[in-house]
Amino acid sequence: MAAPQASINAPDFASKVFPVLQRAQCALCHNENGVASLTRLQFPRENAATEEIERFGVRLAALVDTARPEESPLVRKPTNRTPHTGGERIRRGSPDEQALLEWARYLAASPRAMSAASVPVPKEPPVVRRLTHTQYNHTVADLLGDQTRPADAFPKEDFVHGFTNQAEGQGIAPLLAESYNRAAERLAAAAFRGGDARGLLGSRPASAADAACRDQFLHRFGRRAFRRPLTEAERRRYAALHEAEAGRTGDFHRGAQLVVEAMLQSPSFLFRLEEGAGARGGQYRVASRLSYFLWDTMPDEALFKLAETGRLGTSAEIRAAAVGMLADPRARNAMEEFLAQWLRFDRLRGSIRDRRLYPEFTAELVEAMTEETRRLFDHLAWQDRNFLEFFTAGYTFLSSSLARLYNLPAPAEEFGLVPLSAGGARAGILGHASFLTLTSKPVDTSPTERGLFVREHLLCQMVPPPPPGVDTRLPPLTEEKPMTTRERLGVHLSNEACAGCHRLVDPIGFGFESFDAIGRLRSHELVTIQPTLDEIRRKVKTQPSEYRLGIDARGFVQGIEGAAFAGPRELGRILAANPACQRCIVKQLFRWATGKQETGADRPAIDAAFERFRASQFRFRELIIAIATSPAFLGDSL
Amino acid sequence: MTISGKSAISRRTFLRGAGACGAVVRVGLPALEAMFNASGSAWAAGSRTEPVETRFVFWFNGNGIPEKYWIPRRTGADFEITPCLQPLATLRDDIHIITGLDSPAARVPQPGNSHYPSMSAVLTGQPFTGRGAGGPSLDQVIARRIGGESRFRSLQIGVCQESFGESIQRNMSWADRDRPLPPEMLPHRLFDRLFGVQETSWVNRQKSILDAVREDTEAVQKRLGRSDQARLDEYLTSVRDLERSIAGLPPEYRVVVERPPEGGDLKDWPRIARLQSDLLVHALASRQTRVASAMLSKCQGLSRFPWLGHTAQRHHEYTHGQVETPRGMRILRDICRWHVEEFAYLVTRLKRTPEGDATLLDRTCLLMVHEHAEANAHKNNNLAVIVAGGAGGLKTGLHTRTTGTLGDLYWTLADEVMRAQAGGFPTAERKLGFVV
Repeated sequence: MAAPQASINAPDFASKVFPVLQRAQCALCHNENGVASLTRLQFPRENAATEEIERFGVRLAALVDTARPEESPLVRKPTNRTPHTGGERIRRGSPDEQALLEWARYLAASPRAMSAASVPVPKEPPVVRRLTHTQYNHTVADLLGDQTRPADAFPKEDFVHGFTNQAEGQGIAPLLAESYNRAAERLAAAAFRGGDARGLLGSRPASAADAACRDQFLHRFGRRAFRRPLTEAERRRYAALHEAEAGRTGDFHRGAQLVVEAMLQSPSFLFRLEEGAGARGGQYRVASRLSYFLWDTMPDEALFKLAETGRLGTSAEIRAAAVGMLADPRARNAMEEFLAQWLRFDRLRGSIRDRRLYPEFTAELVEAMTEETRRLFDHLAWQDRNFLEFFTAGYTFLSSSLARLYNLPAPAEEFGLVPLSAGGARAGILGHASFLTLTSKPVDTSPTERGLFVREHLLCQMVPPPPPGVDTRLPPLTEEKPMTTRERLGVHLSNEACAGCHRLVDPIGFGFESFDAIGRLRSHELVTIQPTLDEIRRKVKTQPSEYRLGIDARGFVQGIEGAAFAGPRELGRILAANPACQRCIVKQLFRWATGKQETGADRPAIDAAFERFRASQFRFRELIIAIATSPAFLGDSL
Repeated sequence: MTISGKSAISRRTFLRGAGACGAVVRVGLPALEAMFNASGSAWAAGSRTEPVETRFVFWFNGNGIPEKYWIPRRTGADFEITPCLQPLATLRDDIHIITGLDSPAARVPQPGNSHYPSMSAVLTGQPFTGRGAGGPSLDQVIARRIGGESRFRSLQIGVCQESFGESIQRNMSWADRDRPLPPEMLPHRLFDRLFGVQETSWVNRQKSILDAVREDTEAVQKRLGRSDQARLDEYLTSVRDLERSIAGLPPEYRVVVERPPEGGDLKDWPRIARLQSDLLVHALASRQTRVASAMLSKCQGLSRFPWLGHTAQRHHEYTHGQVETPRGMRILRDICRWHVEEFAYLVTRLKRTPEGDATLLDRTCLLMVHEHAEANAHKNNNLAVIVAGGAGGLKTGLHTRTTGTLGDLYWTLADEVMRAQAGGFPTAERKLGFVV
């Protein structure tokens, strides 16, 4: 290696070179969740501090050829001198290329830079999580015996990065604070209607001012409401509240009701902040994280006891607890919520179809579609099968309405397991009407939507958005050239400005064109051409004309070797064998479990969980346990 | 100063009427005569005369418009009423159509599909963050400065609920970057917020509860890292707003306001829209707030329109499917005309509400926007908006075609009309001289 040349000054990476990469928009694909997520180039987060950007600049040494810097991938790829999926992002011979080349030369000459190529990424601070609405409902049911599901009336939760439970999206706007306030009032009143029917007090109060009874109540209830023992300051605060109200009304229960009402609005109830007081703070947090992930509710008494007695400290103890919890039926419901969001059942339930074209598209059929997918998931997860069968299963679970839709014989029992013929078109989730429908439009299919779904939900590869201000109109259908959907989308691929990204999605969707907008097999595409206003005026044409056009259902997945396919069966095999897809399952569950998008700092945790998933022959239960016992999930308590 | 010998009452005095058997009662009319000075145009009482407060309403419709049916070809006072503007025909002297505005914040490289950047840009003049709007929305910029004395710093109201579900699609008011303020979409709940009356003992009880919640939150905050503290700050702000709205009971309000029923067809959007507009008028008239946002439909909205006969697809699908055909364009025309119809209903109700020597409309500034200009193209320039009302000397009865940005207009409305002293607005370079 050449000795460092004293004449090369360290170029200012953050202000001179990084902007080049920003202009080239590399980060759109080169991020943890981008199409290029498996390459060696990973950008820092948006708004990263200068030091982090400088460190990133130094890590680029991994892409530099020390002997011949001008041959470095760092320079040759973005200029497409070496074939680059993203095309020519930096013009050859431009000043930008020059700046990149100078940086490559500097790195090549600097031994310090070479060894600093693997600087670890700093940790992200945690972001506190609020109870989701379903968690709120389940928690008040367990805490107070209330089955009224008050959170169903709260302002709806918003989707952020595909899930409604992400910490980023869990603020408490005034309308939600008001909802908590009203619900707390109703819940507290109901809890003490007709005395202490729920046994919240623990003993009968001798009088309104019975201090011992009060303290016992605060201890018992507070511990369950806050999911950890109260601090001394908290105990005093709520004791004072109780004293004042019980004194004012002469009624111990009214005082207790007020305390309940206040505690239900405390951030220690609404947010998951179980650190609190005492040496066992970390273990209470573990209990809470486990129960909300695996059961979608607060810890039960057994779990509290484990935390209290210090038996949730070692990985073995935590693993044993998690294994036990997964045997409980609550785990099934909790995971079904994950599935419904991962696969966006809300979009399926919200879709409508043109009634004339799709008269069989009813609410009942939609429910059957979600049930089919749910049953496949449950079968694989809880029967401990290889979860990759999610993409390849040669069987499914049909109702009679679905069987009619798929043109299959009626099942022996509703939603019983039904084998699919080996030569048939369907296999796994990609052949389910749920996926095929939620990615379609009221009249037509949308190959772009289907491709985008596969990329984002199944490969965890975020496709860059369209450039601002782009005209998204498709060529109109005319008599001269009636076109299939595939042909109309051709403009995405023939226009270079569009093709870079659309090549990543449209060809995937084309592979599903044999299935119509409600997931039914079709041999032709029915295209209707409306007369234009001009044609009507000139009386040249007054009625729409219909064409039956042949279907080209060949597709491919850009970026995966040998990934040409036609139909769900073939793509299912490709995905099941593909590491990006296998890792994506891990990432999606990780995001759900931790309430955030994974960052560079989480990479070791994801790798470890993936290893355990793979080593167990892809048993989903094992993946759940791997994440539940991972330090990244449990936090700093270990 | 007195009128007819009665001593003038400070406007903060109010009388409460408890409802019989818990049925909630409306109380009072906003402008008791005694509160005005001799000319009936300002507040009396105290040693100074406050000018009657102006109000601001930010109205939003999802998706874009069919320009050929919406934008008038003629400018000036002689502009023609296009098919989409037809419901405002009798109100042409109360409105100002402004077209040609640009939304440059929507074109800056940013994440999201074509609707998210437009939405963030139209509301805040800043790019979409990937999670939400890039800064505070116009109504919040104004409310921060003029909302401090009202029971509610601002109100957020909505009608159509159908949406894809993302935060940026569901919410039009943003307190700050990534902090949505969701709208109240159920009339009976909006009524309860505005006119629900409670006993003093209940109010005191709430006070002690919320005091405890606040102390609790502040104690918890000390233990947390910075980003978590911000999260709890948001909760604290919400709790304080809640305390204020509970403590600040509605003033004596003599107009009878019926509580909307809880049942009925909750998807009958015209019916819901009118109930919400009625309540909004009452809220403004009774001075419970000076700033409101009204979200008729969601960003990239998915409403169906049975009363128009358009149910085969949802709104967003109509903006892209077959819009090149005459029928497709007519459907968009009908939808956008309905938007204007609901806006016209609100303007009419404000006009019919007297306030001192003028009407409530004379003291209100309304601004109606869409996400885009031409809907199918997701167009972010040549936007068309409607300004209405008489607050701050607004010029009306015109169509003005201009250059300049939405930010220019928003700055003008905030500072010249509402006197909010915002000092600027993202993407604003100058104020527009033709507005007042």
